[in-house]
Amino acid sequence: MSAGPHVDPVEDYLATLTASLHGPVRAKAAMMREVRDGLVDAVEAQTCFGVPYAQAAHRAVRDFGPADEIAPSFQRELTIAQTRRTARAAAVTVPVLALCLFLVRAGDPEWRLGALAAHLTVVATAAGLLAVTALVVTGPLTRLLPTPHRLPSAVAWTATAAAVGMAVAAVALGVTSALSADWPLTACAGVLAIAAHGVVAASARDCRECARAGRSPRAR
Amino acid sequence: MKADAVRGHLDAMLLAVLEPGPLHGYAIITAVQQRSGGALELRTGTVYPALNRLERSGLLRSRWQPVSDRPRRCYELTEAGRRGLADARSTWQEFTATIGAVLDLTATARRAT
Repeated sequence: MSAGPHVDPVEDYLATLTASLHGPVRAKAAMMREVRDGLVDAVEAQTCFGVPYAQAAHRAVRDFGPADEIAPSFQRELTIAQTRRTARAAAVTVPVLALCLFLVRAGDPEWRLGALAAHLTVVATAAGLLAVTALVVTGPLTRLLPTPHRLPSAVAWTATAAAVGMAVAAVALGVTSALSADWPLTACAGVLAIAAHGVVAASARDCRECARAGRSPRAR
Repeated sequence: MKADAVRGHLDAMLLAVLEPGPLHGYAIITAVQQRSGGALELRTGTVYPALNRLERSGLLRSRWQPVSDRPRRCYELTEAGRRGLADARSTWQEFTATIGAVLDLTATARRAT
């Protein structure tokens, strides 16, 4: 925190805290808006009794706690919010990938890439199961079980693997559609796989970033 | 009372001050401090993530509503939150009764005679 003579301590504190947090844009914005409201209330509670603004602002920030000590608990919540977001993306898109591969395989039992499809289906199933587990553990089960510290990383890297699987599936389906007489089905499946890859890869990248932020020394 | 002594009891205290009705973040902090007669040195920055966690676990729900002409995030207890508060109260009473019985010299002497 750099407290210059003309710097508002509240704004300076908010800037420091905001810069140190990573997470879903809306969740982070709502969190910071709430913090701002709380600090403004704390300042007003003193200035209405005649305490000078600067003194009231310094006291409000001091009572809130040093940003580097407070940030980890905020980051933990943002990391879990991003983990749930990535898990939802995987839980919705991964079955699409599995369905695409199933349809193409069912349409052509002699499909040369059948073994590859089987492996991708295993990856998709594992990612889907972990995604659902993460949603339950970080939601209704929070009351009963502590959220495992490694869960965000596990979801991030499993979603990354699923995204890679989707990219491979998209290429395989594209090659198949170019060689197949029944190309519209495989081409549609390929487009779906590309779209699913885009959604899951972006969310997995954000989740990796949040998991890293949660592991950094200041976040412990 | 230092902030470290509060750790582990924060969730129950937050649920307790929300029992009468919905409050926004700063009002919750003020209510905890008032109920403790100013004895608790609550680090206010720890309250917001705790409220977030309690909402995620279904013990609280929140919505933005105008308070003093300003939209504020107000929290209220859910049914699960009321049950959680009742459980926390009975656990605390059991704990204080047990520890109190050990620490209380007069009660110990009475039992010995």
